[in-house]
Parts: sequence; C-alpha cells; structure tokens
Amino acid sequence: MTPPPLLEIRGLSKRFGGLVAVDDVNFSLASGETLGLIGPNGAGKTTLINLISGSITPTTGDILFEGRSIKDLTAFKRARLGIGRTFQIMKPFPGLSVLDNVAIGALFGTSETAKALRTARDEADQWLELMDLSRYADRRADELGGPDRKRLELAKAMAMKPKLLLLDEVMAGLNHVEINEVIEAIKKVRNTGISVLVIEHVIKVIQRLSDRLLVLHHGQQIVEGKPGVVLADPRVIEAYLGRRRA
Amino acid sequence: MTLRFKFILGVAAALMLATLPWFASPTLIQFGISTLLLATLAQGWNIIGGFTGYASFGNSEFFGLGSYGTAIAMVQWQLPFGVGLIFGVLLSVIFALVVGIPVLRLRGHYFAIATLALSQVMTAIVSNLEVAGRNTGLVLPLLNGDTLFYELSLAVLLLATLTVLWISNSRFGFGLIAIRENEDAAASMGVNTTLYKVLAFALAGVFSALAGGIHAYWITFIDPVSAFDLSLNVKMIIMTVFGGPGSVLGPVIGAFVLSGISETLSTEISSLANLFFGVVIVAAVVFMPRGLADLMRRFRKTGWRYFSENVKQHRL
Ligand SMILES: Nc1ncnc2c1ncn2[C@@H]1O[C@H](COP(=O)(O)OP(=O)(O)OP(=O)(O)O)[C@@H](O)[C@H]1O
Ligand SMILES: [Mg+2]
Repeated sequence: MTPPPLLEIRGLSKRFGGLVAVDDVNFSLASGETLGLIGPNGAGKTTLINLISGSITPTTGDILFEGRSIKDLTAFKRARLGIGRTFQIMKPFPGLSVLDNVAIGALFGTSETAKALRTARDEADQWLELMDLSRYADRRADELGGPDRKRLELAKAMAMKPKLLLLDEVMAGLNHVEINEVIEAIKKVRNTGISVLVIEHVIKVIQRLSDRLLVLHHGQQIVEGKPGVVLADPRVIEAYLGRRRA
Repeated sequence: MTLRFKFILGVAAALMLATLPWFASPTLIQFGISTLLLATLAQGWNIIGGFTGYASFGNSEFFGLGSYGTAIAMVQWQLPFGVGLIFGVLLSVIFALVVGIPVLRLRGHYFAIATLALSQVMTAIVSNLEVAGRNTGLVLPLLNGDTLFYELSLAVLLLATLTVLWISNSRFGFGLIAIRENEDAAASMGVNTTLYKVLAFALAGVFSALAGGIHAYWITFIDPVSAFDLSLNVKMIIMTVFGGPGSVLGPVIGAFVLSGISETLSTEISSLANLFFGVVIVAAVVFMPRGLADLMRRFRKTGWRYFSENVKQHRL
C-alpha cells in the first residue's frame, strides 16, 4: 500500500462574486516533490495558495493534507500541521529584529506549544545562518534590502519546520545575481526533504527548481507534467508564453 | 545594564514608592493614588494597544465596570470590598469576552470606532439600571485611609507591571507582538490570533477593573457619566504612547511624568495648562513617536539626531 500524497487537491474552486478565480483544480503533491505553479497575471495562483494555507475558504472542493481533510481548519492550525508559506506582498514583522522574526516561526509554527523563547531564538539562529543572514540578526526587519528580505521570508517559513512550503513569487523584483542567490537558498530548503509548491513568473527559474509544472489559466488547470513537456505544449505557449513573446 | 542591576533598581524603586505615605503630605498621597491608578490603567491599555496593536477605546468601560461592580456589591449586597473588587473584575472579563470576540475581528480604525461607540451604550445601560442607582449613581461606605488606598494602588500597579514584564518575555507576548506587526503573517505562522487578541483584551480588562474598583471606594461616589468617562481612555492612550507603547516601564513613566506636569501646571497657571499639555503631546508624537522608553534606549547611540531622524522617517 502506498502512503497518501502529502497534499491532495480535489475539485477545488473559489468564487469571488461573479469571478471564478480557481476553477475545479485537481492535483497532488508527493513528499519531497517540488511543483511549479505558473500562469499569466490573474490566473488564480495566489488564490490557490491562499486556499491551501487557509487564508480564505473554498467555495467547493476539498484539500487533503497527509490524507486528512484540512478545508475547515483555520490558518494557524494548518501552519502547525506543517504548511508554511511566503506572501507575494511580503509580510515581515517590520519592527521586530530579524532574529525574532524567525523566532516567531519557531515558537508558533510547530505542534510544540510550550517552547521556551531561548530555544526558539537558538533555532532561529541556525536558520539565519543557513540563509546567510546572521550578520543582520539584530537589525530591524524593515531595514533589510530586497534579496535579504526574501531570504528572511524563507527563514521565517522554514523555522516552522514545514512539511509543505508554499512560495509565492519570491523572486519578483530581483536582478539576475540576486535571483541566483535566492535560488540557491531555495535549493538548500528543498534539500531538507520537504515538498515545495512554488509560484514564479521567470520561466528559467521555475524550470531549474521544479520536478513538475502545473499551468493555471483563468482559474483552470490547463496542463500538468514534466517541465520540458509542459513548456512545449501549444496551449501553454498560447496562454502564457505567447503573450510574453509578443 | 545587567539583569541583576535592573532587578535591584526595580525593587528599590518599588520600596521607595511604598514608603512615601510615611513622609509625604496628604495632598501628595492623594496625587500619588490617582497617579498610580492612572499608571495601572495605562499599563492595561499597553497590553491591548501597545503589545497587540489594537487601539482600544473600550478600556474606560472596563474601568466603569470595575467601579460599578465594586459599588453594587458593597452598597446593594453589603459584601466586603475584596469581594466587590473581584465581582468588578468578573464583569469586566465577561464584557471583554462577549464584546471582544466580535469587535476584535475589526481592524485598525474600525476597531477603535466600534469600541468608542460602546462607551455611549454602557452609560445608557447603567443609567437605566435600578441596582446601579440609575442616573444618580451610588454612594459607597466611607473609609478614611489614604495610606491603605495608596498601598493598594501601588500593589495593583506592581502586579500589572510584573504581568507586562512576563508578557514581554513570553511566547504569549511574542504572539501579541506578531499580531501587532502583521496579523495575516502571524496567523500563517501558527499564532492563534483570535484567542490571543481576546486574552489580551480580557487581561487589559482585569487591570482596568481593579483600578476602577479601588477608585470607586476611594472617591466614595460614582455615577454613569464619570464612571464611563471617555477622556480617561484618552489619558491612558496618551500616557502609554508618551512613555513607550509595547515596553514594560514606558506606560508607568509616561503616567508619572504627564501627571506630574499636568498637576504642576494646573496649580500654577491653570488656564495655560491644557494648552501646554496639548503642545507637549504633539511634540512627543512628532519627535519621539516610539515613546520615552525608545528615546532612552537609543539616544546614547544616536544623540540629537534621534529627533531629526524620527521627523524624517515619518515625512512630517
Ligand atoms: N479577495 C479577492 N476578492 C475579489 N477578487 C479577488 C480576490 N483575490 C483575488 N481576486 C481575483 O481573482 C483573480 C485571481 O487572482 P490571483 O491573485 O490569484 O492571481 P495570480 O495568478 O496570483 O496573479 P499574479 O500573477 O498577478 O500574482 C484575479 O482576477 C483577482 O482580481
Ligand atoms: Mg499572485
């Protein structure tokens, strides 16, 4: 008997008034797998991540995590089960030190609810080191620049020791050199063995990171499969790449 | 400063304050009581406003409920003061839970406005309750013992401050701060935001109600308008913001300093007192928006630049 996939999305839809932002999406994600989610602006990618993390509730459909339905759980409970996320519009805790930003992930993001502050800070220290942020530990989070902020988002989510990490456009607004830095950081994260669902606009980046790709268009999943195959699919080229090349 | 030095300093300050009634004039003791109670109120507001970031105008309701709970228990049911105090706290906590759960869903200005509206409602409700003495209010038994009231107020302030000290170093407090800094991010990182907000509101309610109960017994008379006076809530906010919201001692220092200034001015030049008070507050908000606590921490490093940087940072 094979174990259930880490994440399974069944017939998931979200309607905002007359707009169906996510329309009958079905897919699953195995342990340790990285799935790339692509699609043009407004395709429903962020909405899908919001549904999985629990920021919003689905109109229809179900979300299974480790075989259990989590669709009725609040966001904080899903976080403690092992779902970490970053936000497209980054949401650091601006007035807190970089270290304490990460410590909050360690304090609250696991099923352990009696962790001492000192333990959490020690754990945070290790994530800062892995993300190359140790020298900023005592700075206020809002003093960090672009790529450092992205790495802070990663460190915060990782401190929750998630089984599934949802990354919403962590590369946006970075230059080539910075993108490479953050890709390395994500690879480090992936090498810890967790599953990742990553949204990215830069095709080269998503190709380098993903085992599999899923393309959304007007809320519907149009193609799913190996990156090489998906990116060569005429429907994808029309919906997504075509527009960019034009 | 090392931790031990801070501890010794704190104990010394508390002891000094505790001995004050034995050498101070009656007027000074009275001033002391009202300042200690204001500091307790500011500390209560600090929990919900300073740590959690919810600008509450509902704390004067907690104060009023504490006053009325104590008064009703003592006057109508002839219960001892201690029981009355507990009854007031209970009313306040129930209010925090019942009102907090819906109202704390609102964010920013909406929360402030909703709590603002509540004070009007409370005045109206109490004015129509037989047991609360309707419009005329209640007269409490007289107890001549300002020293007792002073020590009691000091004890409650100490309790509030120790609670805030614990908060600032605990998982609970970090949860509150995370909510203040970014509530969506806090929830997605595992903070039970609803529970934490309601607990913070209720905890603020406990200390405000204790202050209200002591105040009622000390003043011996309460009526709906003065018990639910909104300007008291405004004072809590000003003192906390002046001293340093989200810090342990800021609200206490803010209350002591501003009460001192206000007292001096109103005896010397009463007509100018309010104006000067306003100017001090505007200047404080512009030049030191994170309060005295932050100023004292950072001034040594930045010097006078501290003020210009604050002005620049807020594009004023
Ligand atoms: N809270 C909301 N209320 C109403 N409409 C919404 C809401 N959130 C998203 N939408 C709409 O749903 C659609 C999908 O939005 P979503 O943010 O998921 O797209 P996206 O694929 O992440 O786009 P982008 O690449 O620009 O980030 C858009 O048309 C958007 O305007
Ligand atoms: Mg998006």
